[in-house]
Amino acid sequence: MPRATVAEKRLRKALDADEHELRELLREEYAGLDAEERAKLMQKLASTAVGGNGGSPVMSARLHGVREVLRERLPICVVDERQPIGLAVEAILGVDERSFWINGWARTEDGPGELVAISPEGCRVELGEAFRFERPDVVQFYSGLGRADDRDHGFTAFFELPAASRLAAGWVVELHTAGGVAVEVGCPPVNTDPHSVRASILGELAARGPLAGPLAAEHGRHALTRLQERIVTAAEIDEVEVYGEPPKSPEVSVVVPLYRRIDFLEHQLLHFSVDPELAEAELIYVLDSVEQREELAARARELFALYRLPFKVVVPTAGSGYAGANRHGVEVATGRKLLLLNSDVIPDRPGWLGEMCRFYDEGEGIGALGAKLLYEDDSLQHAGLYFHRLPGTEVWENAHRFKGLHRHFPGADVAQPVPAVTAACVLIDRERYEEVGGLPFHYVQGDYEDSELCLRLAEAGYENWYLPSAELYHLEGQSYVAEARRGLSDYNMWLHSELWGEAIAAAMERFDPHAAAVA
Amino acid sequence: MSDLRVLFVAHNHPTLHPGGAEAYALELYEAMRETPGVEPLLLARIGTNVARRRVAHPGTPFSAVNGDPGQYFLFTETEHFDFFTLTSRDKALYTRHLTDFLLAHRPDVVHLQHTHFIGVDLLSQIRRVLPDASIVYTLHEFLPICHRDGQMVRTFDDDLCPEASPRRCNECFPELSPQAFFLRERFVKGHFANVDRFLAPSAQLMEKYLRWGIEEERIEVEEYGRLTPPERAGDPKQMRSPTNIGFFGQLSRFKGAEVMLDAMAQLDSDCDAHLWLNGANLELQTEEFQAEFAERSEELRDRITFRGPYDHDELPRLMEDLHWVIVPSIWWENSPLVIQEAFFHRRPIICSDVGGMAEKIRDGVDGIHFRAGDAWSLARTIERATSSAPLWNELRAGIEEPYAMDEHVGRLLDLYSETIDSRKAVVVGA
Repeated sequence: MPRATVAEKRLRKALDADEHELRELLREEYAGLDAEERAKLMQKLASTAVGGNGGSPVMSARLHGVREVLRERLPICVVDERQPIGLAVEAILGVDERSFWINGWARTEDGPGELVAISPEGCRVELGEAFRFERPDVVQFYSGLGRADDRDHGFTAFFELPAASRLAAGWVVELHTAGGVAVEVGCPPVNTDPHSVRASILGELAARGPLAGPLAAEHGRHALTRLQERIVTAAEIDEVEVYGEPPKSPEVSVVVPLYRRIDFLEHQLLHFSVDPELAEAELIYVLDSVEQREELAARARELFALYRLPFKVVVPTAGSGYAGANRHGVEVATGRKLLLLNSDVIPDRPGWLGEMCRFYDEGEGIGALGAKLLYEDDSLQHAGLYFHRLPGTEVWENAHRFKGLHRHFPGADVAQPVPAVTAACVLIDRERYEEVGGLPFHYVQGDYEDSELCLRLAEAGYENWYLPSAELYHLEGQSYVAEARRGLSDYNMWLHSELWGEAIAAAMERFDPHAAAVA
Repeated sequence: MSDLRVLFVAHNHPTLHPGGAEAYALELYEAMRETPGVEPLLLARIGTNVARRRVAHPGTPFSAVNGDPGQYFLFTETEHFDFFTLTSRDKALYTRHLTDFLLAHRPDVVHLQHTHFIGVDLLSQIRRVLPDASIVYTLHEFLPICHRDGQMVRTFDDDLCPEASPRRCNECFPELSPQAFFLRERFVKGHFANVDRFLAPSAQLMEKYLRWGIEEERIEVEEYGRLTPPERAGDPKQMRSPTNIGFFGQLSRFKGAEVMLDAMAQLDSDCDAHLWLNGANLELQTEEFQAEFAERSEELRDRITFRGPYDHDELPRLMEDLHWVIVPSIWWENSPLVIQEAFFHRRPIICSDVGGMAEKIRDGVDGIHFRAGDAWSLARTIERATSSAPLWNELRAGIEEPYAMDEHVGRLLDLYSETIDSRKAVVVGA
């Protein structure tokens, strides 16, 4: 048996034993292996010992100890304007336990050089695919050397490890030049807070060109998709407060996420309380701005006493965005149908919910059923969605049919199939909703989830419909700060097109948004 | 058959804070108390903005008024009132206290004079607690329509506003979104849906509520009925030329205080007109306004005499020296009670040519109109009015007796039984 294999077996056993034994073993037996053998051994241990669901912070700490004994150390790079080689890692961001984002810069005399990241547990990852960009500050710093250097020194990259890494400190990055010189630097501790990691990555995307550029395609998308998954699924239902006695076996559950503007609750309850059909439905509010839980509870108690309409309030452990809040609402929902509703939607008159349910039941194979939504000045906010290709690009934008026209514009007064509908007010059979996986999590801070849901339903063979006889007001965007979302919207739109471009193109072949719907 | 129980709700009690609508509410309550077959109750809101003490009794917002078993104060915290949405943030006011009060008295009719400082939610709560009760609501100004103190006067140029909409309201209050105004309107209308009949003391006020969306069948014009004063003002001692003009009421911008002062400053030097200001609530105006008012009236001290606040009982004496009463408001007004007071004491009126004034005072019959907000027009009108004894005599002869309280009570009782009957029909039919 080769020496390294025997070594691996003994080491693996020792990792599970006590720390003293491990240290002894390392000192006596394995320091003698050559550098290459040690590196291979380390890689094997790190990628299997903590992979999958195994491993623990304790195991990670032991592996880190092993790494410190076995690792071949390179000269530490000292950043000095007289030295030709420079390397700095400015941030390591934990996307999830197995994937990370790195920002920094590297300078050599002879080309970009090769970058290798080494996890605290000893996994080596080559960063050959890193996105390179110009760093004027680095160019200026080295200008004293008197040699023109217009290479892209900056690097930023998403990368994955074969196994989880759970230690914040201990990352090392190596730089190998074409001429065979190699140096290393230590890294700052890993930031694992998902919200600040997301903000940093979005900031990086925005700083390196358009949000939906090549950095997004090759790195940003992978990181953001994993982060979204992590943020959304991290939040769990903490509490469900029930006010009154909701109906036992409701036909429909109305799910309303509340974000910041909890004053909308009072308005909805007033208007819902005069509609007998709402009393038969299960009304579920999900608080996405969890810091308001006390305030909401106090209000909900008082408003229930006043309006007497039963409802539930779901409070998750943390805010998780629009899709996340709906996920919790649906989890609590017991209705056979789901009516997803925004908090800033106020019915024009009673009867809208029954109208939608009857139409849904009478139709065949309806996926999502949308309503007519109005602005406060009685112009159309929503009469169905279609897709509009941005000129000269492959990117599709969501567009609202007849937006801004009069509420009784004839084209908007006919029930008809449409490519998609807004989730500001949408009715879906619960089984169909679950069949296609519900609202996707991968869009950042709420956008395009509804059209993707509709596209998924269409892909599964259902038809999305618009119903003008259900009329409600939608005070669009009142609970969000529009400015903050503008950049994100570009990213979300791009991701939506990446994922669904072909399906959208096919749907738009069949749909003419300008066709007058009247005979 | 048992007595008809009528609960009147007012936003204030006139013994605490003088004001037209509240004075009328008390008079109406007193007149109903004298009417056989009617058992009236008056619930008048008080609060820290008008009363010195906070709560009369711990644990309840109700307290008795001068030992009268038919009158109650309702204490509400001014800070709990949302002046934008016209609701109380303290919902227990409705769900506990007012519910208890309604169930304790079980009125057949709830006649609201105002919901200010109480909140429009009360309307829905009455309907829930007393499904058979008829709900009548007298509209005194435009608070449900207009966030600018219910005046319907634009904030940026003080122009009269004929119609509210989220867009127009946002123009007046750029810091409040059109969507916020939309929600306000929907909220107020949502609660207003419980009212069986709205009463508008003037046609012009009704017209604005119709335009706002109150259905024609739910609103009608019903002028304030007034008790005939026990004593009428005698003829002025000086009858040679009708030079004395009297102003009664709040000295505020909307009531035309500035227009009046400007006009007095612009009078011809040979005009002998003199203005007597009988004004209350100057202390409620802004300090800036008070300072300006003091300075201006000092400059005009030969033409203006400031007599300060007055009691309703003093009117005959205060009117005695006067030839004219002036109503120079720059807002629409509703049906200003001072018009009825002046007519009781047979004084013709000089008034703005808009809104409730133009409707209630007939130009050339019992008064003279001038162009609202226009000091030049008012100055020329005053010059003309005060120099002509024949004109004054003619207009004085044109004055008709104001709408009497007993007639008003009769009409209200008819209306109460109409609404009770139609409510029964609704309940039986349901």
